Amino acid sequence: MTEIFDPEFFSSIARLTTPILLAALGGSICHRAGIFNIGLEGFILLGAFMAVLGSFYANSAFVGALTAVVGGLFLSIIFAEFHLRRKGDPIVISIAINILALGLSTYLLRSIFKVSGVFSHSEIEKIPHIQLPIIENVKILNLLINDQSILFYLSIVIVFILHYFLKYHKFGLWIRVVGENPEVLKSSGINPVRIKFLVLLLCGLLCGLAGAQLSISNVGLFVENMSAGRGWIAVVAVLLCGGRPIPLFLLIILFGLVDSLSLRIQGLGLPQQITELLPYIVCLAVLIIVSYKKLRTFSRIIY
Amino acid sequence: MKISLRDITIDYDNLRAIDDLSLEFHEGKIHALVGENGAGKSSLMSVLYGLNLNYSGKILFNDKEIFWSSPKDAIQHGIGMVHQHFMLIDELSVLENIILGYELDDALGFINFAKIQTEIKALLKLYDINLNLSELVTNLSVAQKQMVEIIKLLYRNAKVLILDEPTAVLTPNETEMFFKTLRNFRLEKKIIILITHKIDEVMSISDHVSILRNGKLINSSKLKQTTKKKIEEQIVGKKLPKLNVRRGIIDEQKILEVNSLRLSTRFSHSQPIDLFIKQGEILGIAGVSGNGQNELIESILGVRKVLSGSIEYLQEDITHKSTRYRRIKGISFIPQDRRKDGLAIKSKVWENVITINLSDQKFSIGPFVKKKSIKNYANQLINEYSIKVDNPNSSVLTMSGGNMQKLVVARELSNNFPLIIIENPTWGIDVGSIAFIHQKILDIKAKGAAILLVSNELDEIEVLADSAVVMYEGNISKRITKDIKFRENIASKMLSGVHFTENING
Repeated sequence: MTEIFDPEFFSSIARLTTPILLAALGGSICHRAGIFNIGLEGFILLGAFMAVLGSFYANSAFVGALTAVVGGLFLSIIFAEFHLRRKGDPIVISIAINILALGLSTYLLRSIFKVSGVFSHSEIEKIPHIQLPIIENVKILNLLINDQSILFYLSIVIVFILHYFLKYHKFGLWIRVVGENPEVLKSSGINPVRIKFLVLLLCGLLCGLAGAQLSISNVGLFVENMSAGRGWIAVVAVLLCGGRPIPLFLLIILFGLVDSLSLRIQGLGLPQQITELLPYIVCLAVLIIVSYKKLRTFSRIIY
Repeated sequence: MKISLRDITIDYDNLRAIDDLSLEFHEGKIHALVGENGAGKSSLMSVLYGLNLNYSGKILFNDKEIFWSSPKDAIQHGIGMVHQHFMLIDELSVLENIILGYELDDALGFINFAKIQTEIKALLKLYDINLNLSELVTNLSVAQKQMVEIIKLLYRNAKVLILDEPTAVLTPNETEMFFKTLRNFRLEKKIIILITHKIDEVMSISDHVSILRNGKLINSSKLKQTTKKKIEEQIVGKKLPKLNVRRGIIDEQKILEVNSLRLSTRFSHSQPIDLFIKQGEILGIAGVSGNGQNELIESILGVRKVLSGSIEYLQEDITHKSTRYRRIKGISFIPQDRRKDGLAIKSKVWENVITINLSDQKFSIGPFVKKKSIKNYANQLINEYSIKVDNPNSSVLTMSGGNMQKLVVARELSNNFPLIIIENPTWGIDVGSIAFIHQKILDIKAKGAAILLVSNELDEIEVLADSAVVMYEGNISKRITKDIKFRENIASKMLSGVHFTENING
């Protein structure tokens, strides 16, 4: 047992969770605003590539994060143009964005860096990690959350900000209203399309940061299709929690836990194919529990 | 204060919705705006409220011309509107719904809920309204939702209240309460514009009445200078035909017999339901909506499982048969919600007329439809029921509410089925269409159909039904036969909650 729960196990949870959490937070405001955005995978991937690009050329992690955000915003604007102005179906647009991001990042990787598969370089500046001396003496906290990237701490702050923002801020109220019935907002004299546009931009920003965390936080390299399903896990988490930030946070921690557990138990000799299934099995289990609860409430009304 | 609309014209694609119309509204007056569905009342009000900016003509405020760029401008000038379909979010609290768009916030944009709450509580006290501000809107009754809409306007300091069919969903009692509030507003010199189909309400509360037809102003006068009959004729454009009530022979054969039926869901603990309908008879089910009428209908149609008891149709036990089986055996159904349950509104008219007899040899060969004969059939129904629609290829969405309802009625009554279940057939439609549909129902009865008529309108039950029961909390009253005191007997049972322990029928 001790070989599973070694210090690396605990610190890997935060590392594995942060990109998914950031993307899911972006997805959750989209969900609350009634935008069915399942393109998070593409958002993360382009963000990850742009982060490496910026960090490599400017030699600065900050610029890397900034270019990652620009990548996310770029996709947001495409999404907004086709969904809000041209009234396209959000699922079709999401799929287009996922494919576009994969193709674009692969193409740019080959044409800018002249490599295929992986680009790794010592000049890629990594996002700094923070040491919190206060919790160094609390062993479990120290293992879990100390010495993590700035974005990890930021993402946790955003969870709570978003929670209060949606509940008590007027823009948060408008987001909730536009998701339920845009006509109501319109008759109150607020333009629903403008709200949705701002929400998409915010989502692009958060997903861009998710990409930066993925590529220039711990590793400092870009791999083709680096997001590897994290965006989809984020989408599932958003839908399961109805876009509420705090349950979302807890659920993603659970995913992270299982994910790092699956990495650990590979060492025990279980085939990799089986251990990699674990997060998805947990996904299914949560889905079944949630739908079971829903079924029970509905069955009492109509058979 | 005075608001004038001058020479307003609105054109939609190829349709003139409002044709050179001028009207004036004065403070301290309740101004009723009446007309058929599609006459242009809502279009006109959406101009005044800033929702529709594509119009020609002028809006004058105390003789000064004003321009809107969005409803926000109109709201800031003190104009408020309660839409026919409530503009409320079920998942939000009453308070959140009220303040939407007019949040008192701090520098960072966070809402000062405490301050707003005291303000609104003062408003509630002033108008003697009882409402829990932290309750979710989804838990409110329709009348309470209506109140939330009104408070929303008061909170925004509205001086002009536009009310689009405010009483369509209210019970008679709730309507009376609502009118009391309106009279208070009149005392406060507010301008109240009341859009309605109910002429009785116009007669009882309004000061001024304007009649619209086909986008034109037919007449605008003080209520005192006109009569109910005149208004009705001006709405329809001709004299209303008198209902031809043929007292057909009621046969002894029971078409539908419901025995000790226990409904599923929240009425499962009510008394078991017994009722029957004979051939050539209309049985009315009166009562305030939400007392189990819908559940009863769904049970008879087989959309909902029953806990126990039996349903017999033409001497056959159909309690456990499928809905499709019941429909094929000849049960017709005219639902209240034509847009949701009655029609596939994005589909074409001809596609909608055969949804209940698609397997008829006339309309299909094997799995393929005979488009031509269906279209002929659709044209025949359109003529017979004088449904206003371009042609059978038009989508149902292009039709007005009254014509949609006529289409449903045409489809359901044209098969001469033995049993017809009808739920609030004239909900939200104009007097002309109401008279037409009532006549059709009476005609089909005279041909020998058994009809179950659920209605919230006492008038409707009184005019159409041969006998009636009242439904309350899932219980059904004794059968009330049609005599001189028919209406009073029903009304008293509705009010007193009825002695529902009695279990005898007929």
